[in-house]
Amino acid sequence: MSNVTIPVGPQHPALKEPASFKITINGERIERADVRLGYNHRGVEKACEERNYIQDIYLIERVCGICSHSHSTAFVLAVEEIAAIEVPKRAFYIRTIIAELERIHSHLLWLGVAGHEIGFDTLLMYSWRDREIVMDILNMLTGNRVNYGINTIGGVRRDITPKQAQEILCGIDKLEERTRYYIELATEEVTLINRLSGVGFLSHEDALHLGAIGPTGRGSAVDRDIRRDDPYLSYPELQFKIVTDDHCDVYGRTLVRVGELMESYGMIRQLLQNIPEGPISVKAPRKIPAGRAFSRYEAPRGEDVHYIQANGTDMPERVKLRAPTLANVQSVARMLENSYLADVPIVVASIDPCFSCTDRMISLRTDGPGEKLMSWPELHAFSLDWNRKNRGIDFTNLNKRLIEKKV
Amino acid sequence: MKEKSLLQELESKFPQLEGKAVIQRARRIFVDHPHDSFYEVFDFSVKNLGCTMLCTLTGIDEDVMLAVIYNLGRDDGILINLIVRVPKEAPILKSVSSYFPNAVLYERELVDLFGMKVEGLPEGYRYPLPDNWPEGQFPLRKDWKQNHDNAGKEVQSDV
Amino acid sequence: MATQLFYLLIFPGFLFLSAFGLFAEYADRKIYARMQNRIGPPWFQPLADFIKLLGKETIIPESADRRIFLLMPVFALTAAVTSFLYIPMWDTHALVSFNGDAIVVLYLLTIPTVTFFLGGWSSNSMYSTIGAVRSITQLFAYEVPLFMGILAPSLLAGTWSLSEISAFYNAHSWYWLVNLPGLAIALIAVQGKLEKVPFDIPEAETEIVGGTFTEYSGRLLALLRMALDVEMVVVASLLAAVFLPFGLGYAPITGFIIYLIKVFFIIFLMALVRTVLARLRIEQMVNFCWKYLAPAGLLQLVVCLFVKGVMLQ
Repeated sequence: MSNVTIPVGPQHPALKEPASFKITINGERIERADVRLGYNHRGVEKACEERNYIQDIYLIERVCGICSHSHSTAFVLAVEEIAAIEVPKRAFYIRTIIAELERIHSHLLWLGVAGHEIGFDTLLMYSWRDREIVMDILNMLTGNRVNYGINTIGGVRRDITPKQAQEILCGIDKLEERTRYYIELATEEVTLINRLSGVGFLSHEDALHLGAIGPTGRGSAVDRDIRRDDPYLSYPELQFKIVTDDHCDVYGRTLVRVGELMESYGMIRQLLQNIPEGPISVKAPRKIPAGRAFSRYEAPRGEDVHYIQANGTDMPERVKLRAPTLANVQSVARMLENSYLADVPIVVASIDPCFSCTDRMISLRTDGPGEKLMSWPELHAFSLDWNRKNRGIDFTNLNKRLIEKKV
Repeated sequence: MKEKSLLQELESKFPQLEGKAVIQRARRIFVDHPHDSFYEVFDFSVKNLGCTMLCTLTGIDEDVMLAVIYNLGRDDGILINLIVRVPKEAPILKSVSSYFPNAVLYERELVDLFGMKVEGLPEGYRYPLPDNWPEGQFPLRKDWKQNHDNAGKEVQSDV
Repeated sequence: MATQLFYLLIFPGFLFLSAFGLFAEYADRKIYARMQNRIGPPWFQPLADFIKLLGKETIIPESADRRIFLLMPVFALTAAVTSFLYIPMWDTHALVSFNGDAIVVLYLLTIPTVTFFLGGWSSNSMYSTIGAVRSITQLFAYEVPLFMGILAPSLLAGTWSLSEISAFYNAHSWYWLVNLPGLAIALIAVQGKLEKVPFDIPEAETEIVGGTFTEYSGRLLALLRMALDVEMVVVASLLAAVFLPFGLGYAPITGFIIYLIKVFFIIFLMALVRTVLARLRIEQMVNFCWKYLAPAGLLQLVVCLFVKGVMLQ
């Protein structure tokens, strides 16, 4: 077989979100991979400039469905820095607890997706079943499974009661036991190891050069973690170690993520033990004084960077966010070179991509080239017409006719 | 304090930066910057100040000028933010992708959303706007307003 | 003539097999789901899927080779149904039998794979083509161990007829134990034939969308899926007849129940295999089949020859 180009995406079963990989293969081997992003650009940054700070928190929380707390925390941290707000310690603790719970849910989700990508659906079902435990905890604490809405400028919106703390500890114990089982699985199951080790190789040098961050970098022995290097929230008061691995492949990244799960359980226990009493928020001004701030945040997928520029009004002058996937995209292109077509899904999944956070705007179209877009009424009319022509069924005014018939 | 010594090193090498660089808080250095010597400062920061990663590029519309913040990170968590300003009429930058390969995507963002011209940017797909995006529309500039809905119909009212 | 037609169309032919196939798919999915800690589908789900697919629009790609594209699902189903006629169920007699039908059955069971290849190739889409190439590559890997696994018992029995094989083991009651390693080999190999994990490489959803079946839709897809279901029943019956030849010769009802138990036991084992394993890459699969499975099959043959030479004298 000579070289052929296969499109993987923008719509593809392996990708949960749109991105396009043009993969040139020779037989089963990949010769070249071109990555194209931008299908999900929603204009969040522009929209933030047209809304006030409180509205922006909720908008930014919806940048990503999985690491929603990461984005909103990074945002409020920057705003609080500009406005010089003294946030109570208890609020920081609560934010950190939610952050670590989010990391647990994200990593468990990843484990399942990784299993699915290599055709190991049992792992998917198991890890997503266990993920329900942490989802329930988040639901109990914040009232929501995702998009928690717990952050506000100056603190958090809900407190943790002692009873809830007890339930969190209970859930964490269960999860820890299950995670031990996954670690055992990852180190013993032969087909799993065969599909993961040596796949998606990213050498330590390449990882440094291409700026791989988060578990992608740590899987290639890049010892970087914002929680330790540029501490924020309550991380300076916690004991934890940065999990790195020198396998430099998907297997290494898996071990890093599973290891981080174990670290997160320990962190949550410490947080709940040492959480100080006190208020959970302070009043913040509506108008934020002029200033600028960068905040960095170790999201489950890597470093989130937010830049806020305030101009003294209640709306920001400029909001810039950089999601971790954008920094890792080039590493994916490198990993794909010389690997097998069968490994594309797992290699792409191994950076835990989140293209919706990466892109941030909806398309504006004038009558240019490209496919025709239909508005909802047009589509509806088209479907009625199609069914009449091809099936001889007339759905127009169906309800009305049914009612008439009854009468 | 490490930030201070970094700043001194920078100022002793480039005396024109005196008073332009500030330590905003621990681990955050902002360096405001004239355009002409910018790439030398950038080069110096990468090679001598231990900046190992480019976190992001941030474009800002400042009326007649466009500002770009080069967000350089060190392994110990110190961020050196180099700010450069170019006129909106002729916004020309040089690519830094030879230092940091992942700068390519950040630079493409500036090209698409701010209408910057980046010299030395490798060929490739545009990002993040679609291919049929009309010429000369730069959404993140302050004077830009969306006047089409998702289906391409023109919207009259100013939302 | 009427009885012949009854055999062909109703029992044990087309109608019975279709119903059995759908039920087997249900059993397979339910067992798989329970082992994954899920609830699984209700019993009528495969039938509902089938009916729904029949009602869907059938889209034929413009660039596809229309004739082959349309014919292949029919061929696949026909081949699978035909091969069932040679397999003894609760008796030591199949509906049709002659010396050499074991080989005919194995070849008839190869035809669906070939039709998947041709159908995928003729649909002229990138994903289908790659799926087609993979299915034929994989055919060359699992077919040899499967043949060796199944032919070892017939060697011991000294006949190439499936009916006579079961008659032989029925007469020599404990000899089937010798063939148990062959059962394991065949079980793994048929995962490739039925395109299930770990050998579902030709239709690996996350890599090449639907593989060979990507462009198929509506009635044609329904037929293809039915062919796979029937093939699963046929393969399970074949393995039951060859490797578990006990409890034969009872009254029809009891015999039929024993037969069902055997078939569902085989289906359970197949579901177990796909629960605990991840999908392999095509080159890992070929390596595994030639390096481990084929030598194991050869060993089984040697054991059978030894038993035949020493014990049966």
